[in-house]
Amino acid sequence: MPRIRFNGITKTYGDHEVIKTFSADVPDNEFLVLLGPSGCGKSTMLRMIAGLTDITAGELEFDGTVVNGTEPKERDIAFVFQSYALYPHLTVRANIAFPLLMSRFKPYHHLPVVNTLMRRRVLRDPDVDAQVRRVAAMMELTDYLDRRPRTLSGGQRQRVAVGRALIREPSMYLLDEPLSNLDAILRSQMRAEISDLHHRVGKSFVYVTHDQVEAMTMGTRIIVLNEGVIQQYGTPKEIYDSPANTFVARFIGSPPMNLIRCRLDGRSLRFPDGVTLKLPEGCASPSAPDRDVLLGVRAEKISVAPSDAVASDTMPAHIIVSEYLGAETVVAFKLGRRADQTEQDTVAKHDLQQARIPGELHLTPGADFTVRLDLTNVSFFDVDSGERLPVAVPEATR
Amino acid sequence: MKERVDVTDVGTPTRTTPRALGTTPRGQRGRRLAPYLFIAAAAVYLLLLTGAPLLDGLWLSLTDTQLLNPTEGAFIGIHNYSSLFADAEFAHALVVTIVYSTATVLGSLTVGTVAAVAMNGAFRGRVLARAILTFPWAVPSVAAVLIFSWIYNKDSGVLNQALSSVGLAQHGWLVDPTWSLFAVTLASVWKVFPFVMLVVLAALQAVPEELYEAARVDGADAFNRFRTVALPFLLPTLRVTALLMTIWSFRRFEIIWLLTQGGPVGSTNSLVISVYREAFVNSELGRSAAMGVVGLVLSTIVTVIFFYVDRGAARKEAL
Amino acid sequence: MTLRKTLSSAVRGFGISLLVVVAGFPVYWLFTTATHTTAELFGGQVQWLPDLRRFLTSFTSATSGVPMLRWLSNSAVVAFGTTFLSLIIAILAAYALSRYRFRGKGVFGFALFATQMLPEALLVVPLYSIFLTFGLLDNLTGLVLSDTAFAMPVAVWILKSAMDGVSLEIEESARVDGCPRYAMLTQIMLPLIAPSIAAAAVITFFEGWNEYLFANTFITDEQKWPASKGLASFIGEFVTPLNHVMAAALMFTLPAIVFFLFVQRRIVSGLTAGSVKG
Repeated sequence: MPRIRFNGITKTYGDHEVIKTFSADVPDNEFLVLLGPSGCGKSTMLRMIAGLTDITAGELEFDGTVVNGTEPKERDIAFVFQSYALYPHLTVRANIAFPLLMSRFKPYHHLPVVNTLMRRRVLRDPDVDAQVRRVAAMMELTDYLDRRPRTLSGGQRQRVAVGRALIREPSMYLLDEPLSNLDAILRSQMRAEISDLHHRVGKSFVYVTHDQVEAMTMGTRIIVLNEGVIQQYGTPKEIYDSPANTFVARFIGSPPMNLIRCRLDGRSLRFPDGVTLKLPEGCASPSAPDRDVLLGVRAEKISVAPSDAVASDTMPAHIIVSEYLGAETVVAFKLGRRADQTEQDTVAKHDLQQARIPGELHLTPGADFTVRLDLTNVSFFDVDSGERLPVAVPEATR
Repeated sequence: MKERVDVTDVGTPTRTTPRALGTTPRGQRGRRLAPYLFIAAAAVYLLLLTGAPLLDGLWLSLTDTQLLNPTEGAFIGIHNYSSLFADAEFAHALVVTIVYSTATVLGSLTVGTVAAVAMNGAFRGRVLARAILTFPWAVPSVAAVLIFSWIYNKDSGVLNQALSSVGLAQHGWLVDPTWSLFAVTLASVWKVFPFVMLVVLAALQAVPEELYEAARVDGADAFNRFRTVALPFLLPTLRVTALLMTIWSFRRFEIIWLLTQGGPVGSTNSLVISVYREAFVNSELGRSAAMGVVGLVLSTIVTVIFFYVDRGAARKEAL
Repeated sequence: MTLRKTLSSAVRGFGISLLVVVAGFPVYWLFTTATHTTAELFGGQVQWLPDLRRFLTSFTSATSGVPMLRWLSNSAVVAFGTTFLSLIIAILAAYALSRYRFRGKGVFGFALFATQMLPEALLVVPLYSIFLTFGLLDNLTGLVLSDTAFAMPVAVWILKSAMDGVSLEIEESARVDGCPRYAMLTQIMLPLIAPSIAAAAVITFFEGWNEYLFANTFITDEQKWPASKGLASFIGEFVTPLNHVMAAALMFTLPAIVFFLFVQRRIVSGLTAGSVKG
């Protein structure tokens, strides 16, 4: 239920700053994805939301109440760990019921025999039993209730972990890369199941992943993190269409967004090899005239034509690699004719561009061809800072 | 992927960072105190039952306390120590300790490693063989001494009987000063080698199978496979085991005392035996304590050397 | 090639047999000796095989002359006491060492290790005077206390390395699920490391069961002797028939062998892991 507000959250370990003044406001019932490469601080962020890690500075608010320093159990959350963290000594039933067991825990339950007896009694309680059965049915675990976690497959363990999160009906679910230990097929299936779960329970989800496909398919809001700094916060569409900087542009999308250096002069783009393209009418562009920019073009906005087709809006290029994927082909190319290249600097990564074209087109590596850029919805980035340049649609174009 | 999660975040006093806003001071203090509460029992216990007696022992070593009159010892400074170092018998005890420890450590390391390598392969009856090889460790020292003093028995012991039946000379194993230290060492090696075997076996089983296979593909024979693949894995374990074996040998009491009481004519009179004898036979508590302290210093030196070597080796391995 | 193979496996077989014979013989000899009369044993003829018919009589007569059963039960009391006390203290200390970082941790760890260097013979006199003050001499409780001082650190090693093997996420998960901090140890940790607790229990049990030096010094009343001291009193004494002594020693040894066999591997992995890290 809660609205989550991050108010300048900072986390340091000794002198090492893991999270740098993190601020964001996440509305209720969202599926928030914390996305970023390894070591960017996203798991630390999640653990701070859970209360497993102390916040060094700043305030974390749930519905306007500061929750810094409260125990995880007081935050009304459930946490699904990357390793699932199932209790190996308990059956699936007891694992799922564990939060309920704990809510009835009394200090004298520590006594060895009492402990076992009480656990058995709680598990037999019709109320608890009904809840466990409901969750088990939801997660399709009914047949496995009396097994131990180690006898289950990865996907089943995953479901037990989610089941344990479900049983308490918390107001927020925190998931830390829950799919990273599953194989590709199971992963896409669980992706759908978790999205479906989000719709059914109608609670807030916070989901940590480094996989942009998971982020794009499941998230309703995405926070992109890099080195402890928020890069962008927005809906998947915003992040995909208008990345806030070159990091987001390259991190989101497969293949990543192409960044082509060129000179923007008014409404025309001049490329290093001499080609000049005009921005189409009605398309937004940065207002500052005559400067070097990085032009960001999505791979699917690039189409190809044979090398002899010369038109005003095409550029010469030559193919480096062509990856045939069935429905589509991803072509890695460099701008300019092959003959013009000096051999040494051939595959410097930065000026390798990628286009996504229909699968039936076959292209031979090394061949020259021409590319046509669809410039209607392109992004512009500052060459030095990598930040997105603000654009405006000019009122009157010539 | 997974950021390195700070495990111990929980109990660390946040020294370098300002305290998190809104954290209840009570909770903070509780968390900081928690580890100390957990170790409190152990710490108090160690202080009372080893720390205090140790300090008392240090004090005793500076007095001339007698067993029959334990409260009336007078402070005599380092007299006990200076008299010890002038004492040929004590020097002899040091030599015996060093000879006994070196022999026991080398013997048990060798036998234990060989046994572990032998047990590491698959063969019929492996489980049974390993169980039998573990027996010596499980046998209580007192029982082991009873068995060995019977085996070593001069007239009817099985060792002498067997030797004479194959035409070799018989010896008074425990009563002949030339053989007594050997006999005691042999019994000790028998008693402790299984520990080495089990430790090394555990380390051997941690060696990835692919490494052996790679060495085999590269054409290494069995001995080379052991040397190039297994030994580097074993070395850290062997070093630690050697340390434990050494400091345990320095203080091993029951086997020697009950087999020979340090005799005959002091031939097995190790430091620990001298400590005991000085206190309970000669009633010289002060002198006994001084001997004990010397022994402790010896163990400490050995430990420090081992840690130094270990660190040096670890650094070399890291390069 | 095949010849070399057969040869090497023959050498190996021989080596293994030799080791097994050397390791097993004294135990076998204990058993064999227990089943022969003194006349047979000292008759100048080696009795290589046990006389199984004499098996039971040896045991019954071993317990008739001396209070062997009494001694064994004293040993059991000391051993159980040592186990209980050591485990409680060690579990708590191991948890702190495994899960917390705190000032003085290194010193504490070193103190635990240092107990393995202390010669008991040095501590025995000061302990004697401490026990004298508190009336713990001639008292099995005193033995429990002194044996625990040496058994507990070993138990801490074993348990700490077992706890290090339990993933942190499990505990965090329990925390999120509402498990109170004080319940973490009994609800999550202990069930997970049960096998290592068993190993630590056996090791501490036999520290108390086998201990001789303290028992010899602190206990003078023959009725309160533990079996180690009782058996040691037979050494160099020629009144009790040797086969009875050996039968008594066998009774003392068997529980040790049986228990050790159950847990040997865990003890070892615990010991090495714990000590490698210091």
